[in-house]
Amino acid sequence: MPTTLTSLHAGLEQLLGTGVLAADKIGPAPDLAAVAEGPSWALGIILLPLLGAVLNALCAIFGVKNKLPAWISVGSIGAAFVLVLMLLMDQGAAGRTVAVGYEWISFSWGDGPGQSFNANFGVYLDSLTIFWMLFVTGLATLIALYASEYMSHDVGTGYCRFFFAFCLFVFSMACLVMGDNLILLFLGWEGVGLCSYLLIGYFYKKPAAVAASKKAFVVNRIGDLGLLLGIFLTFAHFGTVEYRELFPLVQPYVEALKQGDLASIPFRVQLIPVLLMIGAFGKSAQLPLYVWLPDAMEGPTPVSALIHAATMVTAGVYLIARTYPLFLCSEWALPVVAWVGALTALLSATIGMAQFDIKRIMAYSTVSQLGYMFCGLAVLSSTGGAFHVLTHAFFKATLFLCCGAVMHGFAGQLDLRKLSGVAFMKGWGIVGIAMFVGCLNLAGFPFTAGYFSKDLILAESFVTGGMAPIGWILLLTAGLTAYYTFRVFFRVFVGPEHYEPGDELHDDHGEEHGADHSEDAHAHFHPHAPGWAINAVLTILAVASIAAAGLYFVGGDEYAKNWPSKMIGQSTAYQVQGDHGAAAGFLTDSLGDHGHGDEEAQAGDEATAHGSFFGYDPHKVMYYVSAVVGAIGIFIAAFLHGPKGLMGLIVGGRTEAEVSRADDLKSAIAPVAHLAERKWMVDELYGLIIVKPLLVLSHIFHLIDKMIVDGLVILAGLIPRLFGSAVRPAQSGELHGYATGMAAGIAMLIIIGIVVMAGGGIG
Amino acid sequence: MLDSVMPFFTLAQSSAPGPFETVTLNHYLFVSAAMFALGVIGFLTRRNLIIMFLCTELMFQAAGIAMIAFARYWLNADGQTFVIFVLTVAAAEAALALALVVLLFRKRETLSAEAWGELKG
Amino acid sequence: MHPVILYALLALGAVGVALAMPRRTLNVQLIGGLIAAVAGGGAVLALTLAGLDALPNLHFYAFAFIALASALRMITHPRPVYAALYFILTILASAGLYLILSAEFMAFALIIIYAGAILITYLFVIMLATQAPSEERLDVLSDYDAEARSPVLATIVGFVLLGALTSMIFSGASSLPSVDVEAAAARDEAQLALLPRRIEEGLRKADLLEDDETLIMDPEDAYRVLIEIEPVPGGEDRRVVFVDERSGPDRAIELPADLRIRNVETLAFNFLNAHPGTIEIAGIILMMAMLGAVVLSRKQVQLDEEAKAEQTAALARMAEGGGPDA
Repeated sequence: MPTTLTSLHAGLEQLLGTGVLAADKIGPAPDLAAVAEGPSWALGIILLPLLGAVLNALCAIFGVKNKLPAWISVGSIGAAFVLVLMLLMDQGAAGRTVAVGYEWISFSWGDGPGQSFNANFGVYLDSLTIFWMLFVTGLATLIALYASEYMSHDVGTGYCRFFFAFCLFVFSMACLVMGDNLILLFLGWEGVGLCSYLLIGYFYKKPAAVAASKKAFVVNRIGDLGLLLGIFLTFAHFGTVEYRELFPLVQPYVEALKQGDLASIPFRVQLIPVLLMIGAFGKSAQLPLYVWLPDAMEGPTPVSALIHAATMVTAGVYLIARTYPLFLCSEWALPVVAWVGALTALLSATIGMAQFDIKRIMAYSTVSQLGYMFCGLAVLSSTGGAFHVLTHAFFKATLFLCCGAVMHGFAGQLDLRKLSGVAFMKGWGIVGIAMFVGCLNLAGFPFTAGYFSKDLILAESFVTGGMAPIGWILLLTAGLTAYYTFRVFFRVFVGPEHYEPGDELHDDHGEEHGADHSEDAHAHFHPHAPGWAINAVLTILAVASIAAAGLYFVGGDEYAKNWPSKMIGQSTAYQVQGDHGAAAGFLTDSLGDHGHGDEEAQAGDEATAHGSFFGYDPHKVMYYVSAVVGAIGIFIAAFLHGPKGLMGLIVGGRTEAEVSRADDLKSAIAPVAHLAERKWMVDELYGLIIVKPLLVLSHIFHLIDKMIVDGLVILAGLIPRLFGSAVRPAQSGELHGYATGMAAGIAMLIIIGIVVMAGGGIG
Repeated sequence: MLDSVMPFFTLAQSSAPGPFETVTLNHYLFVSAAMFALGVIGFLTRRNLIIMFLCTELMFQAAGIAMIAFARYWLNADGQTFVIFVLTVAAAEAALALALVVLLFRKRETLSAEAWGELKG
Repeated sequence: MHPVILYALLALGAVGVALAMPRRTLNVQLIGGLIAAVAGGGAVLALTLAGLDALPNLHFYAFAFIALASALRMITHPRPVYAALYFILTILASAGLYLILSAEFMAFALIIIYAGAILITYLFVIMLATQAPSEERLDVLSDYDAEARSPVLATIVGFVLLGALTSMIFSGASSLPSVDVEAAAARDEAQLALLPRRIEEGLRKADLLEDDETLIMDPEDAYRVLIEIEPVPGGEDRRVVFVDERSGPDRAIELPADLRIRNVETLAFNFLNAHPGTIEIAGIILMMAMLGAVVLSRKQVQLDEEAKAEQTAALARMAEGGGPDA
C-alpha cells in the first residue's frame, strides 16, 4: 500500500511540476511595524459602493420604475473592483500601507502612550485586505448583474430598496475588511449585519422572512457583544485599536510564546482572542450560533449567494486572520476554534444530508464549509483557510445562483423530490453545467479549486501537533459533503424530466402571479428558462471556479509555493508559514500529546518535524486520501440517487423522479434520518434551554413590572387624583369662588407676615 | 388757643405743609383699608359684571388714598405720581373691561358673572 | 387702642355689611347700614381717642364718612346706575380727602378723570348692557342684581382682610422712622430757586421789586436764582435774593415768608423731573388700551344657540302679549 501511494505520488508530482506538493519553506516574517502611506484613491473602494447606495436611495425617492438601480450598483461596485485590481498591481503582496481619509475619532487625555484614543476613517492595505476585497467586489459585481434579472419582478416596488441595501452591504463589507482600526471594523461588522437583516427580511410580507431576519439579527448581536468586549479589552490593554500600532505591540507576546514562555503573557491578553472568537462565531455561523444562517435563506437568492455564502459570513474568518497575532498569544484560542469549526462542519453536514430544500442544503453546506475555514486558521494554515474562503466564495455562489435560477424558473420550487432532469430541459444547459462545476468543487473532486483548498486544511490538520482528531472529523465531513452535494445534483439536474411548480409561497415574485395559483394555473405552468444575465454570470462564475484552481500553481516565490500562500504570508496572518515546529509546540503543549504517538514512531526523517498521516507526509498523501473520500461520497450519492444510465454512472437506482434507493435506507434508519431532517433538534433544544427560560423569566419580570412597578406608578398617580377629586369642587369655574380664595389667601399671608415677622398683632 | 385748633377746621392746607403725626396717618390708612375691604366684599358678592368692575375701581381708589396719605406723611410727591399711574390703569381697565362686558353681553344677553363658568374643573 | 376693641368693632361692622347686602326675601339693608356705620364710627373714634394730641382735620371725618358710607351703599345697591352714582360720591369724598392731604392737583384730576370720564363710561355701558324692562314692570330687577352671592362668606373674608390690614397698619405705623423735615425744606428751597419768574412775580406783588430791576442768577448755574440764607440771631433764618439795580449798586432783598413752592409745583418737579419716563409709559398704556378696545368692539359677535333660543322664545311671548318674565 505505501509503495503504491509513493509511486502514484511520483507520477502526480511529475504531472503537476515539482515542489507544488511539498510544504512551504520557512520565509522571513513580514515587518508589521513598517507601514508606509498608502494611495488615497484606495478609499474609493469604500466610497464608490456608498455612492451607489446614495444614488439608489435617490432612485427610491424619485420612484424610478426601471432597472437603473441595478446598473448603478453594477457600475459602482464594478468600479470598486477595478480599483482593487489597480491596488493589486500597484502594491502587490509585499506592501503594507495605510491611507487615512479623515480623522474620525481622535481625543486624548494626556501625552503618554495609551492616553489617547484614535480611530481614523482610513484603510489598512496589505495583501490580506486585497485578497479579500478582490473576491468581495468581484463577486458583488457579478451577483448584482445576476440580481438585475432575478429581481426584475420587483422593478418599481422593491428594486431600489434591494439595490440600496446591496450597495450598502458592499460599503459595509469594505469598511470591515479595509478599515485600519478595530472600530471601523466594528462599524462595518454592524453595517453588514444590518444589511443582512434588511435583505433577509426583504419580503417583509412573508412571516417566515421577518422571523428569519429577526433571528439573524438577535443571534448576531450575541456574537457582536463578544467582539465589542474584545475590542474594549484590546484598547484597555494595548491602548490602541489601530492595526499599525497594535500589531507591533503584540509581536513581543508572539515571540514569548514561540519560546514557550506562556507565563509572561498576561491573562487578559489571552482573553482577547476568546472574546473576538465569539464575534467571529456569530457572524460566521459556527456552533453554537449557527442557527440563523439556514433560516436566512428566506431572503432573495442573490443575497443568499453574496452575503450568506460568499462574503459576509467569511467576516469571522477575516477577523481571525486579521488579528491572527492576537490568537497566537493564547494557548487555548486556536484549539477552541479548531474544535468548534470541526464540530460545526460535521454537524451541519449531517443535517444537510437529510434536507430536501436545495437552498437549505446549500445553507448547511455553507455552515459546514465555514467550519472548514475556521479549522484551517486554527491548525495554523491561514493560507488554507483564506484560500478556501476564496474558492468557496466562487463555487458556493455558483451553486446558490443555480439554485436561484431553478427557483426563479419553477415558481419557487426548491424541493429536490419534485424536480428532476432540469439540466436537460430546453434553455437550462448552462445552469446544469454550472451546477455540475460547483458540485465538483464542493465535493472536492480532484483538480478542482475546492479540492486543493480543502486539501491544504486537511493536510495541515494532520501536520499540526494534536490536531489529528480534527483532521479525521474533517475527512469524514468531506465524504458527507460529497454525498449531499451530488445528492442534489443527481436528484434535480439529471434523470427523467419532471417538475412540479412551486406553491408560490416560497416564491420571490409572488406579486406577479401570486393570486392565481390554482390547479388550473399549475396545469398551464411552464418553467421559464434563465435569461442572458443569469446565464452570463453563471458562466463567468463556473469558469472562475475552475480557474481558481490555477491559483494553486501560480504566483509562488522562493518561499511560498503559490499565490494565496504568498498573499497570506505577507499579511498579519503570516506566522503560520513554515514555522510549524515552534508554533505546533505550543499547541501540543496546550492540548496534550493525545494523538498519533504510534504514527510518529513509524515516521521517517521528514515527519519528525511535524505530524504525519500513517507515516506519510500529510501534505502529499492527503491528495489521494481526500480524492478517495470524495469519490466514495459521490459514488454513494450516485448509488442512492443517481438515475439509471450513464449520468447515474451506471449504478444509479432512481427510476422515477421521486423514488430512489435512499428511501429504503431511510426507512431502515428512520429515527436517525428523522432527527437529521429535523436538524438534530437544535432549534428545539435552543427553544427549550434558552428561549423557554427566557420567556418564563420575562413573564416573571412582566408580572413584577405590572404589579410592583406599575403599581407604584399607579399609586403615585392615584394620590394626586384623590387629592384632586377632593379639591376639584373648588374649581367651580365661577369668578367669585376664585376671587374669594384669592382675597382669603392674601389675608392669610398678611396675618402670617404679622405673626411671623412682627412677632404678634397690634402692639 | 385758636391757632392750635384752627388746623382742625381748615380745609385747605398751606403750601409746603409741615410734619404729619403717625396717628393722623393711621386715620387715613384705616379709611383706605376699610374702603378696600368694601371693594373686596362688593367684588365677591355682586354678580353683575359692571358692578364687579366698579368694585375694582373702588379698590384702586382705596389704594390711591393710602398713597396720597403716605406722600403727605413723607413730604414727598412720589405717592402722588404713583396715583397718576393708578388713574391711568383705571382708565385703561375701564376701556378694555367695559368693551369686554359689552361683548359678553351681546353674546349671552346677560351680565351675570355666573354665566361664564367654563373654567369649571 | 386695645386690639380686642378693634376686632370686636370689625366683627360688628361685618355683621352690618352682611345685613346690608341686597336680598330678595327679608331686606334689612337700612339696619345693616346703621350697624356698619356705628362700627366704622366706633373704630375711627377709637383711633382718635388713641391720639388726642394729633387729631386730623375735622373735614377728614366728614369726607371719610361720606366716602365709606357711599362705598357701602354702592356695593349694596341693587341697581347698577345707582351704584355708579354712589361711586361718584365716593370719588368726590376721596377728592376731599386728597385736598386735606395737600394734593390739590390729584384731587381735581380725580374728579375730572374718574367722576367725569371713567364713571360716565360706566354709566353708558350700564345703559347699553342692561335688559330693557318690560312696559308693565319698569322696576323689575335682574336676578343677578337683586341677590348677593354668598354675602356672609364674602363679608367674613373681607373683614378678615380688613382686620389683617389694620393690624399691619397699627403695628407698622408706630415703628415708622421720623420724617426728615429739614431735607424736605431744603429740597423745596432748591426747587423754588429754579423758578425765577415765580420769585420775581411774588416780589413785585409785595412791591419789593422795581420795574427795571432783575434777579441775579447763580453764577454756577444760569437757571438758578441765587438765594442765600442769612442766619438771624435769636430768630428764623432770612432768605435773601440779590437784585441787579440799573441805577445803582446791587442790593439784597429778603424773600417774604409766604413765598414758598406750591404743592402742584412740587408734584410737577417730581412727575417730570424725578420720574421723566412716567408720562410716556402712561401714554403707552392708554394707547394700548385704546387699541384693545377698538379691536374688541369691532368683533362681530354671534349669539350663543342657547341665548338665541331664549330670545326667540321671549319675542314669541311678547307677540302673544306676555312680558319677557311672564
